[in-house]
Amino acid sequence: MEQVEITKGSDIGLHTQELTLNMGPQHPATHGVLRLFLELDGEVVKRCTPHVGYLHRGIEKLSESRAYPSVMPLTDRLDYISSMINNIGYCIAVERLMGIEPPPRAKYIRTLLAELTRISSHLLWLATHALDIGAMTVFLYCFREREQILGMFEDVIGARLTVSYPRIGGVRCDITDGFLEGVGRFIDEFPSRIVEYETLIDKNRIWLQRTKGIGVISGEEAVRWGLTGATLRGSGINYDVRKKMPYDAYDEIEFDVPLGQNGDVYDRYRCRMEEMRQSVRIIQQCIEKMPKGEVLSKDAPDLDMNPKGHKRLEPEMSLWSANVSFSNEYTTTPKGELYSAVEAPKGELGFYIVSDGTGRPYRMRVRSPSFVHAAAIPRLCQGHMIADVIAVIGTIDIVMGECDR
Amino acid sequence: MTFRDLINKALFIEILKGLALTLKVFLTKPVTIKYPHEKRPVSSGFRGRHAMVRDPQTGKELCVACMKCAMVCPSQCIYIKYTGAEGEPRELTKYEIEAYRCIYCGYCVEVCPMNAIVLTEHYEYASYKRQDNYFDKERLLKNWDEHIKSLKATSYSNKFWKPLGIDIGRLPANKRQAEVELKGLSKDDLSQNIKEA
Ligand code: SF4
Ligand code: SF4
Repeated sequence: MEQVEITKGSDIGLHTQELTLNMGPQHPATHGVLRLFLELDGEVVKRCTPHVGYLHRGIEKLSESRAYPSVMPLTDRLDYISSMINNIGYCIAVERLMGIEPPPRAKYIRTLLAELTRISSHLLWLATHALDIGAMTVFLYCFREREQILGMFEDVIGARLTVSYPRIGGVRCDITDGFLEGVGRFIDEFPSRIVEYETLIDKNRIWLQRTKGIGVISGEEAVRWGLTGATLRGSGINYDVRKKMPYDAYDEIEFDVPLGQNGDVYDRYRCRMEEMRQSVRIIQQCIEKMPKGEVLSKDAPDLDMNPKGHKRLEPEMSLWSANVSFSNEYTTTPKGELYSAVEAPKGELGFYIVSDGTGRPYRMRVRSPSFVHAAAIPRLCQGHMIADVIAVIGTIDIVMGECDR
Repeated sequence: MTFRDLINKALFIEILKGLALTLKVFLTKPVTIKYPHEKRPVSSGFRGRHAMVRDPQTGKELCVACMKCAMVCPSQCIYIKYTGAEGEPRELTKYEIEAYRCIYCGYCVEVCPMNAIVLTEHYEYASYKRQDNYFDKERLLKNWDEHIKSLKATSYSNKFWKPLGIDIGRLPANKRQAEVELKGLSKDDLSQNIKEA
């Protein structure tokens, strides 16, 4: 894309000075409460400083005073658009810490719902990204489909956004066959919807001019900035936690990782659109392969886990006796520390847990993709016009709930 | 640029395709629900306003003040006080839920061994007074009465009392048969009980 020639005031003898501008924290296009401190020369961004922390709720600190199962609903509030994947990420981290293996059915359910969440998150991203750039219609269409997904979540667990569905060692309740049929119907129809969105913007010349050649970052540099997810894959680096460190049922399921080439806003857009198609593929396989059986592991801690540790369910017990069917010893959480990551729609979502052997995390640190990506905003909007800053914020799909925690 | 691309560009083909699509959607039935006038159906098990189950036999709450819900609550917004010596049945003297702080996770419903607390499907409880959503025991029981009045069924069971697919050996005895009969008392009896309480 050729650089536009701008006549500067100073060239024709006018007095000019740099302008500082606060974009946000109450700006509709900053996706929450991101504040960008921009120093402008005319319309060109000279320097950009992101200020974060307006949505800080101390989730990491709060989790230190709650038992492991009670921390899980807090993780809903990280990236509230894809709460299911946050829950799963947290549960997997604690499972790895405690050495619990969820049963196969639970793994498949989680995989299926995680991919539905990915679709709903990408739909919201596409909706707001397109709206920021000026395509209002896509916004409305995306919300139409997203509503269907949220309705399905409501059927399963009784909440639409902050689901708290998984549980350490499995999931909180089973899904029904009727639900699977509903998902099947949605999945059959959804690819044609993706085509609709693409009809509207894929080759639209305004869209192309606003996205091609904007926010370019090379693969090598993207790795150095710590970018992950579609933001990294748009630059052609093949890194997907689902492939590199498989969790849940991803190692038994076939899917491709879409890659971009140029590392600009348009390529990242293409990556996410293809990812939605891959999610459809994953969901189809999950429905086909869905095993029967348990949804909660025998070793799973109870919800009201004692801070001392948890009691194991005895395998041999009489079903209808009112006697306590738990072993009398506490299985304590091993001491130590652990990092575990999942592929959230935004990028790599990691949980780092330090355990001192009690039923509460001694320290929990969340490696949230949005926080890392926020740091790269100045690099991405270097030398661009102020309107492109909006496109850059959209392209990294930032959610401040996760960034500030 | 091929000839085809040139034609596409000159004739605004892509834009026209987009406009054809929007025209098509314009002619289909809208998916919007005009909210205060129309309401979308809520699926059963939706996590809405709290209520305390009123025992159809005694007309009182079922809670035994075991403190499990207060312990597990992630936002710690349940306040319970009780009397009773060690080893004797506890008498509940205070049970309050601060709904403003509740995050509607449903953990209290799931851990309660007596099925005494429930998140009902009722979701419209915005109010002009803060006090209205600070539920004390009477208010919670009243929520339950309102809830079952809207039910038109003879029994009620909540999704979280006995979660689907969870090993029955995990559940305390009362949760294995998780259903309340709503028939036990007629409406007059209920209002009688409310007066007595
Ligand atoms: S739903 Fe969750 S946050 Fe609300 S009172 Fe129950 S346990 Fe506490
Ligand atoms: S868990 Fe149930 S019985 Fe125990 S205090 Fe809470 S409401 Fe009462």
